[in-house]
Amino acid sequence: MESEDEDSLLGESEEEYSELSDSELQEAFAKGLLKPGMNVLVDEPKKSVNNVLFLCQCCLAELRKDLPWVERLDLTNPPAEDVLSKAEGKAPNPTNGDVNAENDFQREMFFYRQAQATVLEALPLLNKHGIFTKRPDDYFAEMAKSDQQMQKIRKKLISKQMIMEKSEKAKKLREQRKFGKKVQVEVIQKRQKEKKAMMTAVKKYQKGMTDKLDFLEGDQKAGKDSAQGPKKVANKKGPNAKRKYKDQKFGFGGKKSGKKWNTKESFNDVSGFRAKVAHAKGGGKGGNKGKGGKQNKRPGKSVRKKMKSRS
Amino acid sequence: MSAFKRKRGGKSNDKKAKKVKFVAGGEETREQAEQEKKNEVTIPPPVSMGRWTNKERVLIFSSRGINFRTRHLMQDLRTMMPHSKADTKMDRKDKLFVVNEVCEIKNCNKCLFFEAKKKQDLYMWISNSPHGPSAKFLVQNIHTLAELKMTGNCLKGSRPLLSFDPKFDKEPHYALLKELFTQTFATPHYHPKSQPFVDHVYTFSIADDRIWFRNYQIIEEDASLVEIGPRFVLNLIKVFRGSFGGSTLFENPKFKSPNMHRREIRLAAAARVREKQMVKELQKMKRTEAKEDVTTDVTADVFLTPAEDKPVHIQTEAPEPKVVKKNKHKAFKRQRMARR
Repeated sequence: MESEDEDSLLGESEEEYSELSDSELQEAFAKGLLKPGMNVLVDEPKKSVNNVLFLCQCCLAELRKDLPWVERLDLTNPPAEDVLSKAEGKAPNPTNGDVNAENDFQREMFFYRQAQATVLEALPLLNKHGIFTKRPDDYFAEMAKSDQQMQKIRKKLISKQMIMEKSEKAKKLREQRKFGKKVQVEVIQKRQKEKKAMMTAVKKYQKGMTDKLDFLEGDQKAGKDSAQGPKKVANKKGPNAKRKYKDQKFGFGGKKSGKKWNTKESFNDVSGFRAKVAHAKGGGKGGNKGKGGKQNKRPGKSVRKKMKSRS
Repeated sequence: MSAFKRKRGGKSNDKKAKKVKFVAGGEETREQAEQEKKNEVTIPPPVSMGRWTNKERVLIFSSRGINFRTRHLMQDLRTMMPHSKADTKMDRKDKLFVVNEVCEIKNCNKCLFFEAKKKQDLYMWISNSPHGPSAKFLVQNIHTLAELKMTGNCLKGSRPLLSFDPKFDKEPHYALLKELFTQTFATPHYHPKSQPFVDHVYTFSIADDRIWFRNYQIIEEDASLVEIGPRFVLNLIKVFRGSFGGSTLFENPKFKSPNMHRREIRLAAAARVREKQMVKELQKMKRTEAKEDVTTDVTADVFLTPAEDKPVHIQTEAPEPKVVKKNKHKAFKRQRMARR
């Protein structure tokens, strides 16, 4: 009887702790039921269903109908090989059994591969049982989704594709424009640099620091040899002489008096003599003899006779 | 005779007739037309009446208060399963075992019953009608056939392949559920409304202690698939011994009712707010507290060194100004040199 009391009290102390008054608690403590320390109210764990296995199996046995596989068409299989991840060289998923439900892509691929494995396994079985899987092209029947719905789907897919294409085109255009702008800026900068270089070279020449006029031919020679050859000599005297003359005439003040006298010095001065010009020897105008020699040249008499007789 | 044997769905017959004309090229005999009207399909061997033995019928209906998504899901299931029957909405006042009577009236031996609570949560009952087991699920993540992202299509009423996760064989309750699903979703062979081709596959997988349902169309023989839909997730609540009642065979310990879930979220938010408030109050109290004046510096004698005190020398006169060495007003260097 004591044990019963104890049991009932124990039961009480566990479940109705808050409702016990102080006196009752004291009594219980006196009896030695309450252990020292904090007594915390603990929820009883949900009653786990006993004999789950047994009952389920019973039920299953009752439920089963023993139909041939043809009626049921069910298969249990793990997902098929993950071809993509193998191709990429990733290690096979260690948690094969437990697919991560949060990772959408992984989860859906898992389901997809499971269906694939089933299909691969089932098709030969179906063929064996004489059930057709391939629908012939001329077999028209009602589909689960109406034609209207399929049209909508098609339109949506096409529109998505168009949007993507448009955005790609726009991106390319933007890139091109950027590139074009870059090129333009580069060209302008190059021109400015060249101009600056030219001006400095000219100024240097003016001030007499260099007497080479090679900067004039810089554009032509840019692609070819940087080393300037014999043409240097030809151009040396051009502006140099002109400049000299002008300096003489106008430099350091105004006109010098008595410039146009025919004196001994001026008579003996042969610096203004150009042999080529004087003797009219192959100037710049008729200088292209090597290339199109017959551009303006009239053929000789014998050649003309030959041509005449031919035509 | 053809009128007697004609099916209720006259549409498909017209389609067949059109097809016949197309194929044969105009000159078909009446007998041929009659024969083809009798059968479902023309290319495979005909479906004869006597071969349909598996008389499985599923009753799909719902309670009142469902929303549009649930309604569409039900319609989709009825489309996909030709062995299904529809019924009007059940009043929520009636007890659940009334469903068994409805099933009996309709001569169905399986039942899919959708129940909506609070216009938010959808529960699905699947049961084997007269005596068999039943299960209750919470349905989540519903996507219907009409979603534009599901691009596949299949014949209406074609028989599906069923694909199960190997995890279904590991637990006894899952094995029971697998059997229930198989019998419910598999279209019987030679069902008059079924199509003879197998062109889609249902997938039941277990992830995160829930059952995920997907429906794929088989495009090629090399198992390239496209999703048709619908798709949903089932969260098992309980498995019962009887149909819509009876003793509990299995209770899912990890199931959290949607109300509890919402409550927990609310409580968490409330707890956060309360904590912030408490912290603020504490700070206020600290600020308004009377603070003690610190008169003695505890660290005052840290740097005391034991040495003699120097006599304190008080300056009464201001110190003399320093002699500025730098003479800025120098004479020019030349003059300086000259001076020398």
